[in-house]
Amino acid sequence: MRRHQTCVGLAVATSKLVSVEGPRWEEDGHGLAVHVVRRLTYRAAQLLALLLSVATLLFILVRLSASPAALLAGAGASQAQVQAARAAYGLDGPMLPQYITFMVRAFRLDFGQSPAHQTTALELVRLRLPATLLLTAAALAATAVVAVSLGVWLGLRAERPEHGWAFRLLLTGQSLPALVIGLVLVQASGLTPSAGAGSPLSFVLSALTLTWWLAPRLARLTAGAVAGAARQAWVLTARAMGATSRDLVWGHVLPNSLLAAFAMVGVQVAFLLSATVVVEWLFGWPGVGDLLAGSVRAGDFPVVEAAIFAMAFLVFATYATVDLVLAAVDPRHRGRPTPR
Amino acid sequence: MTGPMLAEDMGLSRRLLPPPAIPIPGLLIGGAVGLLAVAVLGLVAAGLAHEHAAPAQRLLAPGTLGHPLGTDQLGRDVLARTLGGFRWSLAVVLPATVIAGLLGTGLGLATATNWGWTRAILERATETAAGFPFLVLAAPVIAVAGRGYWPLLIVLAILSSAPFALAVFEATWGGRGQVPLAPAFCGASAALPVVGAFMVADLVVTEACLSFLGVGAPETAPSWGNMLADARQNVTVAPWILYTPATAILLTVLSANWFGEGLGQLQRSRLR
Repeated sequence: MRRHQTCVGLAVATSKLVSVEGPRWEEDGHGLAVHVVRRLTYRAAQLLALLLSVATLLFILVRLSASPAALLAGAGASQAQVQAARAAYGLDGPMLPQYITFMVRAFRLDFGQSPAHQTTALELVRLRLPATLLLTAAALAATAVVAVSLGVWLGLRAERPEHGWAFRLLLTGQSLPALVIGLVLVQASGLTPSAGAGSPLSFVLSALTLTWWLAPRLARLTAGAVAGAARQAWVLTARAMGATSRDLVWGHVLPNSLLAAFAMVGVQVAFLLSATVVVEWLFGWPGVGDLLAGSVRAGDFPVVEAAIFAMAFLVFATYATVDLVLAAVDPRHRGRPTPR
Repeated sequence: MTGPMLAEDMGLSRRLLPPPAIPIPGLLIGGAVGLLAVAVLGLVAAGLAHEHAAPAQRLLAPGTLGHPLGTDQLGRDVLARTLGGFRWSLAVVLPATVIAGLLGTGLGLATATNWGWTRAILERATETAAGFPFLVLAAPVIAVAGRGYWPLLIVLAILSSAPFALAVFEATWGGRGQVPLAPAFCGASAALPVVGAFMVADLVVTEACLSFLGVGAPETAPSWGNMLADARQNVTVAPWILYTPATAILLTVLSANWFGEGLGQLQRSRLR
């Protein structure tokens, strides 16, 4: 018995070394703290660069429009509000000071007033944020349960005939756009565009639709990771040393492959936030996505800018969280300043 | 669909081992037949059908004489409009994919060949861009630029070039420093059709989403997204407006996904 455990322990040690793909893990002597600081700095720099480019893009687009002052003041602004925006952004002056004013305001998160809602754009987004967080968390939790169980089931059967059919079914599910699923749900539940906004029914249906949007992709990723881990040489080694299939799957294959799948959660959340724009709008769930869709349609520029910034913060907060969890759980991720 | 699509998603990554050793039969051929059907529907059938508004014939149920699949709230024939949607989707999505492929290949090769500092900057820039929610940026940009064919095409092409760049970079650069340009391109070219097929599926859905939100195709264009928006307005009285374009989207996206997956599996099975 004792001998068996030693053997499995050896196999675990081997697995830690062999199952890494790409550049091998190099211990660089720094501790967890140094790694965390470096990685957070990298994510902050990424966010800063992204916000700089997005704000510059918006600045150029605003320049190209017929009346920048009217656009910046937001749709439905009064004459006085348009004048105020013209003065605040220095729209009568030369281009460079205008650009600097625009960027400084954006980075002070001073997006101005929304004429349609009579409050500052930032306040509006802040009020809508909890609803989006709740919805994304629910959708992510549901996706994790569905996708991981499905992916593990598929991945462990990579060489069996039923895998082909399950895989085709999964691909079909992925090809049925969540927008269509959402509309079918709207029809089945009789949820009309105006009624039911913010109700429990719209929450459940939104979460369900978002899960449909995300789960097939994550299931395929998990299946690939599990199938890949199950084919590694250390699985054969551990088997030869007498480890049972159950030990292998639960003790070694799953931890290794689920970490690989977890590393991609950040990208999946970015993808999910795209989906919230459509799904919240479809079901009338009062989150940031619904606000963005409505403001885009109404031309409420201050709110649109604030919502884009909020989404960017959300995405990069998720990336940073995933980085931290990975660094804490898996020492192989330490010592690399960037995710690659 | 409407999101960053990375090499991992398409099974192209070296970090995850290639999944099934034996390609699942039928995916490639089924996808190719489906895509052929979509092309015929878009190029031939769409030219035979003419949709025009006829307020007297609004919201007719399927099976009505002359309107086998019913009419919408303006009296337009749903079948004719859906067929027109094939042509519209092909006209937007195919050029957008080709432009994105060219842009992305250039970017990816520039990243991989590593002229001095280019790799450090381009790799991080592509990664940052690919990791940002696509619709969140595309919708406002088109809204400010004005909805229409050209804004839609240009925004889709530029924003979807990052996955191509990542795939080309992933396929050419294996962590070995500098790569000569010509062999790098040969190595990358195999990955491009796979990414392209998935991108077509992705962009069909993205176009539908943008048009559904009212910031994509012009209001009168026969976009499936516009039809879905109409369906939402009339969901309780005229469910048939939903099902015809939904089937068309499913056919197109399914064919492209099967084709891409089949091609990818074939390539990976040859690699082994």
